[in-house]
Amino acid sequence: MTATAPVVAAAAPKMDPLHHFHVTKYLDFDYLGIDVAISNSVLWMWIAAGLVLLFFHLAFKNPRIVPGRLQSLGEAGYLFIRGIVDDIVGEKGRPFFPYIFTLFFFILFCNLAGLIPGSFTVTSQLIVTATFSLTIVGFSFAYGFYLHGTHYFKFFVPTGVPVLLMPLMIPIEIISFLARPVSLAVRLFANMTAGHTMLAVMFLYVVTLPWWGAWVPFGFTVIFTGVEIFIGFIQAYIFTILTCVYINDSIHMH
Amino acid sequence: MIASAYAATAEHAAAGSGMPQFEPSVFQHQIVWSIASFFVLLYLLKKYVLPPIEKILDERGGKIRSDLEAAEKSRLEADKIRQDVQRQLAAARRLAEQTVEEARLEAAKYRDLARESLTQELAKKKSVALAEIDAAKRAAVAELHDAVVDIAMLATEKLIAKSMNKNDVSKVVQEAVTAIQANPGKLQ
Repeated sequence: MTATAPVVAAAAPKMDPLHHFHVTKYLDFDYLGIDVAISNSVLWMWIAAGLVLLFFHLAFKNPRIVPGRLQSLGEAGYLFIRGIVDDIVGEKGRPFFPYIFTLFFFILFCNLAGLIPGSFTVTSQLIVTATFSLTIVGFSFAYGFYLHGTHYFKFFVPTGVPVLLMPLMIPIEIISFLARPVSLAVRLFANMTAGHTMLAVMFLYVVTLPWWGAWVPFGFTVIFTGVEIFIGFIQAYIFTILTCVYINDSIHMH
Repeated sequence: MIASAYAATAEHAAAGSGMPQFEPSVFQHQIVWSIASFFVLLYLLKKYVLPPIEKILDERGGKIRSDLEAAEKSRLEADKIRQDVQRQLAAARRLAEQTVEEARLEAAKYRDLARESLTQELAKKKSVALAEIDAAKRAAVAELHDAVVDIAMLATEKLIAKSMNKNDVSKVVQEAVTAIQANPGKLQ
């Protein structure tokens, strides 16, 4: 053990299971005092966005009435989001469809691109998910206020509750509203971080165990990568659904 | 070896600031670029991706609708044609039945006529045959009569020519019979 210790110690930075989440700035830019550096996080946002565009470009390069495989997949994606928006928000949700469509595919491709070895998972950064969730919740609040005026504050007053309970219920409603961006952001961030950390730890076992033991964690990583793809879909879906729910709340109240 | 790997990792984690996600120096640019990237992607999707998808979906919807309408029209047309054919078929069947009935009646008429004429003919033939039989009978009786007369005459001739005993008479009759048998033409 003493003989191998220096070797392992030298390799330690590479064996950090959280290494994957390190943001490294490639180019440091400053615009009017705002940090607009290009980092691995930004690069992979662009790669994910580029993959979204590439996917839809390939799917609808030559659109046909009777669709091919890729076109069917693209249409399924479109109709999936359209279905979510129509089901949850309804007719008044139509103007938000492009935003929700973009949100879903951006998050989905960020999640999936993070599974490419050597890549970076943008959605494992709490600041990124928080940016989205705060924007969404902030927008839904502003939009509700814009639609209903001061009437919108009735949103925090639950119906069918005795007046006596109001001092208790109103704070609860306000807290649950404030918890929305937190839960939305943390859910996605925690799922992505946990999954990728788990994979990293397993790969660490693969390289440190002798060959006769390494196949166990390696087999686990193979299965878990499949699970991670599924989680990538599920989390993008949940994020989208909740966005629709919040927008619906601001339109129709509840 | 595994233990040392653990130790090394733990050391590294302890030396760092915990989770890299909570390093505030990398926050600002990610906020800016998240929003910027999102809106650029939104713009590009809205401009280049959504219209063709909506166009092809609308086109397909329109095609399905028009195809359904065309199919409905064809179905109605086919229904009409089917009814026409059925009507024609029924008319043809009625006509055929009528024709057969007419033919049957006519056949019955002809049959009755034929039967009547046949009956008449048969009766005529019967009466002719009866007449012929009667004539033949009469002729036969006359012939028989002539023959008997001839025999009697022949026998009488012989009887008169010589006196005869019973044997002679028998012999003569036998001769006469033989003569007649040998030469039946003589009786005519």
